[in-house]
Amino acid sequence: MHELNIETYVFRAMASPCELRIQSDNPNLLKCLGEVVQSEAQRIEAKYSRYRADTIISRINAANGRAVQVDSETAQLLDYAQNCFMLSGGQFDITSGILRQAWKFDGSDKVPTQHSIDQLLPLIGWEKVVWENPYLTLKPGMEIDFGGLGKEYAVDRALLAAQQETDVPILVNFGGDLRVSGPLISGQPWQITLQSVENHDKRQGVLAVMDGALATSGDAQRFLLKDGVCYSHILDPVTGWPIDNPPRSVTVSAPTCMEAGILSTLAMLHGTDAEAFLADEDIRAWCIR
Amino acid sequence: MQLVAKKKTRIAGALGLMTASLLAGVGASAQTGDEPITTRPAPVSANVQGNQGGTDFDDDTYTDEGMIRIDGAVLVYQEDDGRVQAIEPVVGITYNFEDQSSLSLKFTADILTGASPYGATPWSQTQNLVDPPSTGASGSKGTTISTTDVPPDTLPLATGFNDQRYTVDMAYETPWGEGNTASISAGISRERDYKSFYGGLGYSHEFNQKNTTFIASANFEYDISSPPGGHPTPLSVANGTLNEENRHKTVIGGLVGISQVMNRRWLAQLNYNISTSSGYQTDPYRIVSVVDPVTGGPKRYLNEARPESRLRQSVYLGNKIALGSTVSDASARVYHDDWGINSVTLNLATKIPVTSRFYVKPGVRYYAQSAADFFNYYLVDGQTLPEFISPDARLDKFSAFTGSLMAGYKTSKTGEIYARISRYEPSAKTDTSNAPGYLSNRDLFSGIGSTSMIIGYTYAFK
Repeated sequence: MHELNIETYVFRAMASPCELRIQSDNPNLLKCLGEVVQSEAQRIEAKYSRYRADTIISRINAANGRAVQVDSETAQLLDYAQNCFMLSGGQFDITSGILRQAWKFDGSDKVPTQHSIDQLLPLIGWEKVVWENPYLTLKPGMEIDFGGLGKEYAVDRALLAAQQETDVPILVNFGGDLRVSGPLISGQPWQITLQSVENHDKRQGVLAVMDGALATSGDAQRFLLKDGVCYSHILDPVTGWPIDNPPRSVTVSAPTCMEAGILSTLAMLHGTDAEAFLADEDIRAWCIR
Repeated sequence: MQLVAKKKTRIAGALGLMTASLLAGVGASAQTGDEPITTRPAPVSANVQGNQGGTDFDDDTYTDEGMIRIDGAVLVYQEDDGRVQAIEPVVGITYNFEDQSSLSLKFTADILTGASPYGATPWSQTQNLVDPPSTGASGSKGTTISTTDVPPDTLPLATGFNDQRYTVDMAYETPWGEGNTASISAGISRERDYKSFYGGLGYSHEFNQKNTTFIASANFEYDISSPPGGHPTPLSVANGTLNEENRHKTVIGGLVGISQVMNRRWLAQLNYNISTSSGYQTDPYRIVSVVDPVTGGPKRYLNEARPESRLRQSVYLGNKIALGSTVSDASARVYHDDWGINSVTLNLATKIPVTSRFYVKPGVRYYAQSAADFFNYYLVDGQTLPEFISPDARLDKFSAFTGSLMAGYKTSKTGEIYARISRYEPSAKTDTSNAPGYLSNRDLFSGIGSTSMIIGYTYAFK
C-alpha cells in the first residue's frame, strides 16, 4: 500500500538538531504544528536555561541560601526530580551539575584532582535541599539544573501540544530523544535510524517504532581521554568521579520520553551492570559497548 | 524489530506513574513566562515589652546570624513641674551562634529623682505630712519619723526623693526540631526597697510554609518589698508606725499568640495574655486623706490598701504593613482586670526612609482607662471605711495621648545610631463636681505630662 508522504519541519534548539515529522499532505498543517513544537521547545529551553540571568533556574542558583518561590510548572518538575532521586537511591540528582566546574569534557586529558572534587562534594546532594512546595531553598553555593530532564520533558510537552491540534501521526525528535503519537496511518511503525557512536560509521541500525518514546544516553561527543582511559561524562554524584565502565551508549524505549531518558541515564550510572539493570527493569533497551 | 509494550517493574513502574502525573498536571496550554518570583518574607521576631503592654516588631530584616550585637542607649525622662526625673542607661550584648541560637544579656540602671505625690488631697492651709521612709535628704532609715509642711492650694508632693535601680536580664533562644524555637529568660531587678526575680519559657512553631507562627510563653515573677523600717498596716493612720517584716508578691502569667503573613505587604499578630498576681500589691508610701464632708479639709490620713490578688487579661492585635517604601506598625490592645480597670491602647508608627541610610519614624499613641473599683481621691469622714482604697493616678480614670518622633541613621551595614523624642499628655476624666467643700470641681488628678528622649547606638560584628 502506498504510504502517504511524511513531511519534516526542522529547527535548532537545546544545542541539537530538532525535527517534527508528520504524515499529512497538508503543508499548512506542517508549518502550524512545526511552530507549535518549536515554540514549546524554545519556551522550555529559555525558561530552564542556566545561561540567562533572568530565568527561574538562575534565580534559584543565585539566591545564596534564601528561599525562592517557584511557579507551578517548576514545582511539578522539582517534585519529579525529587522522586527520581529517591527511586534511584540518590544516583539521579539535579544538584550534581556543579561537578562540571571540575570536569570539562573537551576530549583533552585534563582530569581534575581529588582536591578540586572534594571542594564540590559538600555542595551536592538533593538531601541538602529544602523543598517545601512552592519554596525551594538551596544552601549557598549549590546549584540545580534540569539538564538531565529538560530535553526529554520538552519532547513530551511538544508532542502533547501538537496532539492538541491534530490527529495525524506525528513524531517529535530533539537531538535523538524522540516520541511518536502512534503508528503511521497504515498501522505500520515509524522507521528510526540509530546513529553510530563511532565517528566513521554512518549508521548502526534501523529501529521500527510503533508507539512511545526513545531516549539515548551516551558518550559519543563528550569524554576525556588520559593514559588510554576514557572518562565518560556520566559522573557519580556521590563520589564526583565518572562511572566505571559504562556502556558507550544506551537507548531505552518507554511510553514517554522522560521515562526513557531517566532509565537510560540510570542504566549508564550502573556502569558495568547497565545491562543487568535494564534486564531487571524488563524494558526494551540497547547497550553499545 | 518490533517494539511491544512490556510489563513494568520496580523503578520503571513508579517512573511511569510519576511521569503520567507530571505531564497531565502541568497545563496543556503553555505557560507564557515566569510567574513573579519572591523570596520568602524574612522571619519577624516579636519583642514583648511588658511595661508598655505592647509588642514592637523588629522591623529590620537584616539577619545577625553568626554575629555579636552590642546595644547602648540612654533614656532621659522628665515630668512637668519638677516632678520625677529619670536617667536610664542600658547596655546589651547579643551573641548569635552559627546554629541559629542566640544568647543576650542586658544591664539597665535607673536613677530617679524628684517629687512624687503623697496621695493626699490639697487644702487651703499648710498640711504637715509624715514623710515616706525613702525620702529625706538624710536618707532616713525609719528610725526617725520626719514630716514635711506642704504648702496650701497645691497637690502635696514628697520632694527630695532619690532612688537607684539596677537590672540584669538574660535570654537564650534556640531552634528546637523542625520549625520550632524554644527560649528561656531570667532576670533580677534590685532597688533599695524592692527586689524582683523573674523568668520565663517560650516556644514558637512555624508552619504553613513559614507563613504562620504560633507562640506560647509562660512567665513567673517573685518580688520582695522591703522599704526602710518596714511596711505600714493598710488603712491604719499614717503616723509613721511600721511593721518590720518584708512583704512578697508572686506573679504567674501566660501568653498565646499567632502571627500570620497575610500577603506580601502585611503581617498580623494576635496575642492573648493572662496574668495573676498574689501577695502585697499596695504602695507602702501612699496615703489617702480622710476629709470633712462639709469643708473638704483633711481630718486625718490613712495608709492606702489594695487587694492581695489581681487577675489581668489582654488581647493584642498588631499589624506590620508595607506601603511603598514605608513600613507602618498599627496595633490595638484591650485590657481588663479584676480591680475594675479596663483600658484600650491604639498605636500607630510609620518608618519613612529619607535616604538609603536615614529614616524618620513618627508615631502616635492613644490610651484610655477606667478607674479601679477602689480608686478615689479621698475618703469622707464618717462614712464606712472601704476594704480597699488608693488615690494612685495610675488607677484613676484618664486618657492619654503620646506623640513621638524617631530618627535613625545607618552608620554601617550593621550599625545604627538613633534618637527618639516623645511627649506624653494625660487628661483627667474623674468628675469632682460632687466632692465636698474645697475639693469641689478641683482638678485632683495627680498624673502629669512628661517628655522623654532616648539616644542609642547598635552595632553588630563577627
